[in-house]
Amino acid sequence: MTRPVLDRRTVPAPSGPGVAASVVVLAILGAGVWAAGDLGINIATLVDSASNVADFAQRMFPLDFPEIGELLRLSGITLAIVISATLLSVLLSVPAAVLAASNTTPGNTARLGSRALIVLARAVPDVVLAIVFIRVFGLGSMAGVLAMGLHSVGMIGKLYADAVEQIDEGPRTAVRAGGAGRLQELTTGVLPQVLPAFVSTALHRFDINLRVSVLLGFVGVDGLGFAIAGAFRELDYQRGMALAFVVLVLCVLAELLSGAVRRALAHAPPSPPRPARGRISPPWTGSRVRRTGYALVAALVVVASLWGAELSPAGFFSGLGQLGTTLGLFWPPETGGILPDLLAALWQTVKIALAATLLGAVLALPIGALAARNVAPSPRVAAVFRGLIVLIRGVPELVLAVVFVVLTGLGAVAGTLALAVGAVGLLGKLVADSLEEVDERVENAVSATGASRWQVFASATVPQAAPAFVGHVLYQLDVNIRSATLLGIVGAGGIGFYLQNASRVLEFGVVTTVLLLVFALAMVVELIALWLRRVAGRR
Amino acid sequence: MHDVVTFSNVSKRFGQATLALDDVSLRVPRGQTTVLLGLSGSGKSTLLRHVDGLQRATAGTVTVLGTDLATVSGTRLRALRRRVGFVFQQFHLVGTLTVLENVCTGALGALRGPRLGLATYPKHVRHEALRHLDRVGLAEQAFQRADTLSGGQQQRVAIARALLQRPEVLLADEPVASLDPESAGQVMRLLREISTEQDLTVLCSLHQVDLALSWGDRVVGLRSGRVVLDRETAGLDRGEAMAVYSAVATVPAAA
Repeated sequence: MTRPVLDRRTVPAPSGPGVAASVVVLAILGAGVWAAGDLGINIATLVDSASNVADFAQRMFPLDFPEIGELLRLSGITLAIVISATLLSVLLSVPAAVLAASNTTPGNTARLGSRALIVLARAVPDVVLAIVFIRVFGLGSMAGVLAMGLHSVGMIGKLYADAVEQIDEGPRTAVRAGGAGRLQELTTGVLPQVLPAFVSTALHRFDINLRVSVLLGFVGVDGLGFAIAGAFRELDYQRGMALAFVVLVLCVLAELLSGAVRRALAHAPPSPPRPARGRISPPWTGSRVRRTGYALVAALVVVASLWGAELSPAGFFSGLGQLGTTLGLFWPPETGGILPDLLAALWQTVKIALAATLLGAVLALPIGALAARNVAPSPRVAAVFRGLIVLIRGVPELVLAVVFVVLTGLGAVAGTLALAVGAVGLLGKLVADSLEEVDERVENAVSATGASRWQVFASATVPQAAPAFVGHVLYQLDVNIRSATLLGIVGAGGIGFYLQNASRVLEFGVVTTVLLLVFALAMVVELIALWLRRVAGRR
Repeated sequence: MHDVVTFSNVSKRFGQATLALDDVSLRVPRGQTTVLLGLSGSGKSTLLRHVDGLQRATAGTVTVLGTDLATVSGTRLRALRRRVGFVFQQFHLVGTLTVLENVCTGALGALRGPRLGLATYPKHVRHEALRHLDRVGLAEQAFQRADTLSGGQQQRVAIARALLQRPEVLLADEPVASLDPESAGQVMRLLREISTEQDLTVLCSLHQVDLALSWGDRVVGLRSGRVVLDRETAGLDRGEAMAVYSAVATVPAAA
């Protein structure tokens, strides 16, 4: 017998996986609140640090810029290292992606092997690679290029493989049907289709590597980061912050430039006028001249970078000869008798990441919402908050960490606040983007019923964007755990301190132990994120 | 007359359930134009793809231009594909490349090594490509991006690309099914002229029975992977051809 309509429940019965996912998300939020409390992040701490601001400002100003020649030299080295590293990772990622993509791989072994290498490259932090390579190749550029170049394969290789898997197979089949070989099939049937995605991914990674290069300076890679680390070590904040400001400017410029290039790639060039009869190469129209010009400039920049990074093949091969001996230093893993300390530091890293994700989300949700054109009260407000997000994205997390170390003293609070502010740059952007991507017809339908702005926001905009929010927050947690392990290098709490310390006192066995701990942690987060995505996708 | 394409008891199975070709036997002599008729999913595309070695038979033998495709090695298969042009329903041009470079890709089988950009193709290839582009009436669009052309124009570029292979056999898989009637007429006229001029052996799948009867020397009807009709068009009744399209084999055509 069915119950009368009026007696039925007006709220649906909860579903199993849905409940599980909600519980995990709530658990993460609860853990964030607990971690923030446990780390001593509260109003009192914040007020205390606020009183340090004046003090810090006094020590920081006036900014002391090096003379222009020196400044250009340092910026040049940093850019040369970052460009060479990004180029290296692109060169490694293209074959890795071809082997890893299901539609171009020669076989299952190659596919799984290549996927595993890509995951491994992502799992080993670039700063760890830099520590190893500096042992092998000495201080300077080479270690930085190799460290960032190899680690970036973790991101670039994955995104390239995804791009290859999404191609239209038609042109490739047509090329094969004409008798082309395997390599020709790839260069003619696949490459033109994925080229825009390849370039755009490389530019994105270039932005990221530019920020990372500061961190690598703290372990001995040449450039602006090295100079910043030196200045802070001598407590010369006027010089250190001046250089950090230069990095900020470079990051914002790089972001603007790569944005412009990506937009230009999205548009097809205008069709040339009717060509002269019998012409077998394209006419030199204005647009072709311009495109060729840009390509030449890009090629020159790359060549200059390779030259500027002073990559000597001789040094590379002589270092390579010692690679076995050096790697021997890192094996077997040792605890140096401080395993309890290491585990406590790892636990602190987890707490920093959780608390920073929570605080970051609290900051990023309103800022991201105000930056979304369809939510902000006026276009001007949206533009201002977008600008704020871009500016925050420009500041390398390490510079933030250094600032907070000075403001709040050494320890976990500095790391947490630095990551929380940094999260606004990434999470704020993702929130704003997913709000702008909602179906505006639904919003129109709700406002047509006479709903207020807030009601439209709550019942039409947020429900559409909410699943994306959960994914973004998890992604931020993943990013924060990786970053939290590294900020200890500047004294911002967590396991990074031991990483830096062990490598400085040449206890490489301990470095390996720390690395294994960090790796295990990253894998756990990855598995939780994977499970949540699957559960959320099932609903 | 010498047979160019021979199918002997060819079957093709996808997975366990689907039998795409079911004991197909067919001999196509040089210079003949054979039109394949049949519902979507009746095996026309699969049959054509077997001729070019894009798919391999589960059972039976396919012989093309004297080469047995069951045992052929990579290099010899590619050499064979050069002699067989293929025109697809969805054109399959590389959208971001220029029209002329798309035509040039037809020469890849004859060239060695990868090619990136129009300038990397030898001059004589580019000249010949332009000549074929002129033949299909698109020389003026040579330096436009292929994805800026209309469907009918893209199909003509695809024909020029096939011509650059200097093929002996031309395969066409529903070449006009995605086109409006006017472009379809243009493309069909072009295919007819070219196959006559160059004395090509043609295998073409079509949905238009009238077109099949007026153009083809011979009509092969497929249903569920089986050959249910194989006749010279001379003297073939339209109703008999239409019967291929009826869902149940025993019901006579109502056309």
